[in-house]
Amino acid sequence: MAEFQTSIQDIDDLTIIHLNGYIDAHTYPMLEEAFTNQVERSRYKLVVDFTNIKYINSAGLGVFMAFIETMRGNAGDIKLAAMQPNVFNIFDLLGFPLLYEIFPTVEEAIQKFTNNNEAAS
Amino acid sequence: MSLPDQENIEFQRVRRNLTALIDFSKHINASLDIDFTLNNLLLSCFGKFLTSRGMVVLLRDQKMQIVASKGIPKDILDKFPPEITPESPDISSQVECFCSASRLLCQPILIGNQPIGYILLGEKFNKQPYTEEEIDFLKVILNIAATAIQNSMMIADLKNLNRRLDSKVNRLNSLFELSKEFGILTEEERIGKLLSYSLLGHFLNSHYAVIYFSDGKLRVLHSTIPKKVIQENFQLNAFIHFSEPLVGNELALVFPLLAELHFEVAVPMVHQKETKGMLLLGPKLDKSIYNTEDIEFITSFVSLAVISLENRRLFREALEKQRLEEELQIAQQIQKNLLPKEIPVYPGFEFAALTIPSKHVGGDYYDIIKLNEEKLCFAIADVSGKGVPASLLMANLQAFLKSICKKEEPIGQATALINDLVAENTSDGRFITFFWSYLDILNKKLTYVNAGHNPPLLFRNNSLTYLDKGGIILGVMRTLVPYSVDEVELQSGDCILMFTDGVTEAKNTDDNEYSDERLEKFFINHSSISARDLVRAILQDLQLFTAGAAQSDDITILVIKVL
Repeated sequence: MAEFQTSIQDIDDLTIIHLNGYIDAHTYPMLEEAFTNQVERSRYKLVVDFTNIKYINSAGLGVFMAFIETMRGNAGDIKLAAMQPNVFNIFDLLGFPLLYEIFPTVEEAIQKFTNNNEAAS
Repeated sequence: MSLPDQENIEFQRVRRNLTALIDFSKHINASLDIDFTLNNLLLSCFGKFLTSRGMVVLLRDQKMQIVASKGIPKDILDKFPPEITPESPDISSQVECFCSASRLLCQPILIGNQPIGYILLGEKFNKQPYTEEEIDFLKVILNIAATAIQNSMMIADLKNLNRRLDSKVNRLNSLFELSKEFGILTEEERIGKLLSYSLLGHFLNSHYAVIYFSDGKLRVLHSTIPKKVIQENFQLNAFIHFSEPLVGNELALVFPLLAELHFEVAVPMVHQKETKGMLLLGPKLDKSIYNTEDIEFITSFVSLAVISLENRRLFREALEKQRLEEELQIAQQIQKNLLPKEIPVYPGFEFAALTIPSKHVGGDYYDIIKLNEEKLCFAIADVSGKGVPASLLMANLQAFLKSICKKEEPIGQATALINDLVAENTSDGRFITFFWSYLDILNKKLTYVNAGHNPPLLFRNNSLTYLDKGGIILGVMRTLVPYSVDEVELQSGDCILMFTDGVTEAKNTDDNEYSDERLEKFFINHSSISARDLVRAILQDLQLFTAGAAQSDDITILVIKVL
């Protein structure tokens, strides 16, 4: 049952989590694990690539809520990118745009982190 | 100035106005976005009347609300809508009152003859009052704008409605998904996690605890605060009457400590009117408060979870029960193996025995042990209580008896020894009524000790004798007074009936006991038949008597007949 996979890509202090498939009640623990791994590696600046995500359920959304404070508490963030319209709609309905930055492309999300880094230095 | 010139100027003016109107009407209808429409309306008025202040109020949810404003100072905006007073009882007089106080021109935006709102405009740059002609022009603009405003308001309402519907559909989908998933998950912790994460996603919060009450303890299934904090600060008793969701101040009032731990919502997990656990949620990160609809939604989630948790618990209990039943069956088999497999046969005697346990494993015991070629040991015993504890003690007794029989000690001393051993092995007030005897085959002599057992009956020459010599029941205390021993010289035709109280105390449906009298009478009347037939006949009579009533105690019968 390979309904969902994650892959990790590090660029400097950024980590991009590429997601693939469906995030539902079966697979959301894998998403959680992906975030737990980043916390263990002390990687707190995350861009989540939704290009290949077809569906996300509320437990999947809950995973983002469960980790956002940890990331921001460690000078990082979770930025979301490249959602298909139906996926964005779910995030939008539940009010996520209030708390998360959502970008049309992964590059723009990376750019935002990079700009912030430059501003900080 | 000549007349034609004046006419020309007038013509030019009207033309300008008309062009402005056409232009306005083109733009105002170009978009269905309410903000764009109102912005356009205000700016058109500013351009036309040379003013820099204006606002639009619209009737929404039966209240006038500011929907657009430009250049109006905040202190004036804050005064809107004005209080309802006897002088301005309705909405329109309220608006007019506000306008005269703030020195604003006020014109209704009408659909038919009903105002859907008002435009409020500030002083002109040249400080001149608005002319009648300008007001007429404003009326025309508002007429054009009214339809556009109404349309865009309807679109906005529809969009809003659509979003709320989408949100409802989304919640229903989640419920549906969870109901499927909860059926499959086997670990309580995973149910707790799925429940809490799903709610985090819906309510944008990041603080939670799912607590399940199991085996009289608070079990934290999933939580953002350490389990210890919950287990050390709360007692299960505090929550057993907690049956309705608590939010915000209510929660702080009832469970102040939960509020201190930053929880804002507590929803009980109620199953068949009993509180089986609870869900705690922290504040939403977008700072909005939990409304009734939210609480209803959370309650549905929690109900699904508790059904799943309870089903799992019941299933586990059923499994456990099944396992115990299986063990009991094994115990019964072991116990059956402890009883003599065959009844020995000796010329001049008939022996028969029968035992029926009441529930799987019982406390009755009988045995026939061959000591040597001339000597047999007969024993019958009833261990207090039933089930596994009684049968364990019975197995114990059997082991003592088997080893003591090997030593062929005098029966009195042997009984004292058995009593000491049993007394050492019981601690919870259990005891054993015990009758045993050595039968000397050659000399037809029965030597017995009765340690508190129902006296066996000896039938000889139409009269009954009770074999009741002996001493105290086994296991109550160590042997202080030696057991008395009795000897019976047997004669041809003698019949001895040994039994446990399961026979005489068996009850019928009217709650009457079979009784010693009935057993004795039956025994006397049937003592001439063979030992085997006698045992069967007693059992049949007993069954006849108890017909329909449940067997409440083990039944054991042992017969020795001298031919």
